[in-house]
Amino acid sequence: MSVPDVNRADSDATPLVAAVRSTLAVAAFQLRRLLSWQRLVMAALGAIFPAAVMLAVRRTARLGLDDDLAVLMLYALVPEAVCMLGLLVTMCPVVADELERGTWVHVAVRPGGRRALLLGTYLAAVAWTGAVALLAMLLSLAVMPLPNPLRVAGIFTGLVAISVFGRAALFSLPAVIMPKRALVASVAAALVVEYLAGFLPAVVNQATVSLRLRSLLVAWMTWRQRLPVEMQLLVDPQPPWVQIAAVAALVTVLLTAAAVILEFRQFPPSDEI
Amino acid sequence: MIEVDNLVKHYRAGDGSVVRAVDGISLAVGPGEMVGLLGANGAGKTTTLRVLATLLAPTAGTARVAGCDVIRDPLGARRRLGYVSATTGVPDRLTAREIMRSYGRLHGMGEGDLDRRIDRLVGVLDLANFADRPAGRLSSGQRQRVSLARALIHDPPTLVLDEPTNALDVVGARDLFGLLESLRAEGRAILLSTHRLHEIERRCDRFVIIHGGRVAGQGTAAELIGPHGSLEQAFFAAIGAGAAP
Repeated sequence: MSVPDVNRADSDATPLVAAVRSTLAVAAFQLRRLLSWQRLVMAALGAIFPAAVMLAVRRTARLGLDDDLAVLMLYALVPEAVCMLGLLVTMCPVVADELERGTWVHVAVRPGGRRALLLGTYLAAVAWTGAVALLAMLLSLAVMPLPNPLRVAGIFTGLVAISVFGRAALFSLPAVIMPKRALVASVAAALVVEYLAGFLPAVVNQATVSLRLRSLLVAWMTWRQRLPVEMQLLVDPQPPWVQIAAVAALVTVLLTAAAVILEFRQFPPSDEI
Repeated sequence: MIEVDNLVKHYRAGDGSVVRAVDGISLAVGPGEMVGLLGANGAGKTTTLRVLATLLAPTAGTARVAGCDVIRDPLGARRRLGYVSATTGVPDRLTAREIMRSYGRLHGMGEGDLDRRIDRLVGVLDLANFADRPAGRLSSGQRQRVSLARALIHDPPTLVLDEPTNALDVVGARDLFGLLESLRAEGRAILLSTHRLHEIERRCDRFVIIHGGRVAGQGTAAELIGPHGSLEQAFFAAIGAGAAP
């Protein structure tokens, strides 16, 4: 090895290229970590679970299941339940896992390491949960035939994408603020923000992913005209591009806040397990 | 290369009281110098090293790595620092090459640079026999070598090691110090903490003894030993713990 030059930068890449490389490196690393047989079994169960519920309902419904009700069930099971559960196990431990494994210090001493850890884990959580949710949706459609299944599959692909991008960003905040209680805090955030504030017919629900998802479902399924008046309070009348832009803005704000908080987080040596 | 000036770090404990982990430590490590930071458990060694590694922000005082202030220019400090901890934190499922590549990418290094650097480190740190084996199947000494390789992937001019020989046997510790001596010979500034005095008595150029978050003594081995007969006795005298039996 040559005598090190104190002024040598560790990379000749531009800051943006270096940031992309480091984020993708963490994403690849986290995806590889997820490819354990335990995680694959969990993912398989997550993918089968909605189809099993749909099959059970179909068999027990004597007069057959209304198509709209079947779509609503699919919505509750896939973009809501599967996505939420998948993100709880993939996004919440972003910092806690590193503290437990003793790798936090080795990531945090790299320039941009903390940001790369957050964004790389975010991408891995989105990709993993999104893939499981899409598989769950396809299996559900296979056991519960609906008219125009390709259109329904397209709509739900969009809903799954928006759910995982939005909710992973939401869970990133409790994960960096209270890493050791991230799971509990994220469940609380999901209940309070998504399912309490999200259903309040007030301005506060504008900052939730659940409002955007419901509004997109109604718009894309062309249900608006048939929606009862009281139910119209629970969806936003703006066009789909506004809903998508709102989620994009929410994701940007949440991830930026999480990255800033993580950059300044200090963990005394005793915090490492 | 490494400069710590009147460093203070206080924590707030769970019961609301203030813990003065580091309380006015000053030290310096020059290029091509290896300095041992000695102290009992809880003396403030790890906190001092973690401030240098930009993992903790100082309450007061300054710390610089290769001229970069850890508060004003943390990214510059991180680019110029290699950090090794007692718990290696080496991922079990990855090989040494994969670990070096992953962490090199965190520095934004390109694949060509990484290939050259990894080959170089495999040769210099003698990793060839196990570089492609999952780290979970390596011995403690081999894992510590991998940890050192990870710390050196970006060719930093300074190296900070927090009790690097804790999990090593006598042979592993000797091999590690052999590597550190070769890194010192290249001009790197090395600061390492330990409480295994006999291991480093003849290895380090200077020593800093800390106790209760303060510097209790510093100098070369000869200066510290003086009338005490051994570094261990000098250490006990400095921290006021009485003579060793």
